[in-house]
Amino acid sequence: MENIISTKLRDIVLIWAVPILFGIVLATGLAWLGTSDSTAVGAKTATGPVRGWAKVAVDLPTSETSFPAGKGADIANAQCLICHSAGMVLEQPTLTRDEWAGEINKMRNSFGAPLPANQVEVLAEYLRGIQGRQSPSSPSVLDAQGS
Amino acid sequence: MQRLTVLSSQPSRRRFLAQLGGIGLTGLLGASAWEAMAAEVVELPFANGRRELVTNFPQKGAVLLQRTRPPLLETPFEVFDQGVFTPNDRFYVRWHLANIPSVVDPATFRLNIHGLVGRPMSLTLDDLVREFRPREIPAVNQCSGNSRGFFRPRVSGGQWANGAMGNARWTGVPLKDVLDRAGVKAGALQVRFNGLDTGVIPQTPDFMKSLAIDHARDGEVMIAYAMNGEPLPLLNGFPLRLVVPGWYATYWVKMLDDIEVLDKPDENFWTTKAYLIPDTPFANVAPGQKGVKMVPINRMVPRSFFTNVQNGAVLKSGQTTTVRGIAFGGDTGLAKVLFSADAGGHWQEARLGSDLGKYGFRQWEVPLRLSSPGPHTLMIKALNTAGVAQPDHANWNGAGFMRNVIESVSVRTT
Repeated sequence: MENIISTKLRDIVLIWAVPILFGIVLATGLAWLGTSDSTAVGAKTATGPVRGWAKVAVDLPTSETSFPAGKGADIANAQCLICHSAGMVLEQPTLTRDEWAGEINKMRNSFGAPLPANQVEVLAEYLRGIQGRQSPSSPSVLDAQGS
Repeated sequence: MQRLTVLSSQPSRRRFLAQLGGIGLTGLLGASAWEAMAAEVVELPFANGRRELVTNFPQKGAVLLQRTRPPLLETPFEVFDQGVFTPNDRFYVRWHLANIPSVVDPATFRLNIHGLVGRPMSLTLDDLVREFRPREIPAVNQCSGNSRGFFRPRVSGGQWANGAMGNARWTGVPLKDVLDRAGVKAGALQVRFNGLDTGVIPQTPDFMKSLAIDHARDGEVMIAYAMNGEPLPLLNGFPLRLVVPGWYATYWVKMLDDIEVLDKPDENFWTTKAYLIPDTPFANVAPGQKGVKMVPINRMVPRSFFTNVQNGAVLKSGQTTTVRGIAFGGDTGLAKVLFSADAGGHWQEARLGSDLGKYGFRQWEVPLRLSSPGPHTLMIKALNTAGVAQPDHANWNGAGFMRNVIESVSVRTT
């Protein structure tokens, strides 16, 4: 057990020598040291299987992707991107206009998206246009739950 | 015996530069920016399945980008051929809410235990490590919607292939021990878990999940502070994550900082309105079927996968190759893994790798020698110790949860 926990943490403890440097980095407002090795600094001594806890500071990537041009793209860019990047929307299977409206209303009703009701139809038609299909004869099989 | 290397011979992974509109941009962006935008792309085997293989997420190596914010990152499937434990830097990532702290300071972090307890507590990480006996458990963490992209008809949601899962050695403290220290009072019904993440706007329901009090105190549910012997990557829940062995990952609350013992059923959105499945075997319904009772998703079901051979592989007839993969039993151990080289006509038992714990992956392998040239359908099927077998036909539900059909690959011998 101790070996398991301490193997990597030992590395972290070794970096203890630089907490002061870390403080300087913080104070000068420099960006974090990088990505995978940005778990920089040991925090304090522990006597259990974990011998030191490192403060973790990371940069989470941001997405530059915006919605493709078209009538309603402005709504998508203004509203959808408040809470999530565009990727997962663009990766969906083709949905009908009603199914897209269902997704939009899920965002409004379950997650509190501030999208005005009178923009739902325009946005649904836009999303059908970029990643959609015409309505089939049978009703939708999608589950409307919020997950 | 010949080791299969068919994965690397497949054309599904292509390296090409993202379309930037020509060389002019190279100058504008500079060489490093150009390199950063050179994307390796993977075609997941369903419509609209093109995904970038990215390396720009903190503490992560190459993973498939499903969404940048909040992050959805899939483990490339070849990782599962490298061993039963999924490396932390390749382990899949799934967040619901985008307000994720990018800095977590152990000096100020506290885990609060409150509600229907005699002694509410506010524990530091050192408290957890020093004052409680550590345990370790290997366990599969699998997204409820793993493999959703394979649902037919297609359903909306994260369009994962099979890589929204991973197996790790989790080290931490049994939740029971922490609850016992706090002194759960009579009348406790459920325990609710919350993490540091929140929605971008205050109207978005905070992500919380609950377990029945008896489940929370079963001695297996764990507050984990290490994953494969290291602190958890931030994106996998640093510093603490709930581990609920045998249950879908929606319960494995990340950045866990709040545990509340409830005297009534948890009515929060994520427990009552989300992550619901049809109350049927394998959560299976017919597309469009109405009036089915819905219940919260819960125990996992058995699965097995090929890891060194995939659709389109070409084998040499008359030559013996080792076909291998991984399997797990779901909410209990694996009983056996069965292999078929003739589309399910005949089954033979695969040899299983060591059993490191009933909730983890095990490797399986079979020597395969196909004498007749032509197409062959290989199948793999896991059965768990509760007698549950993977179904012949794909289970289906409108949310795309719990897929666990027998896996098939089509190969050809020459």
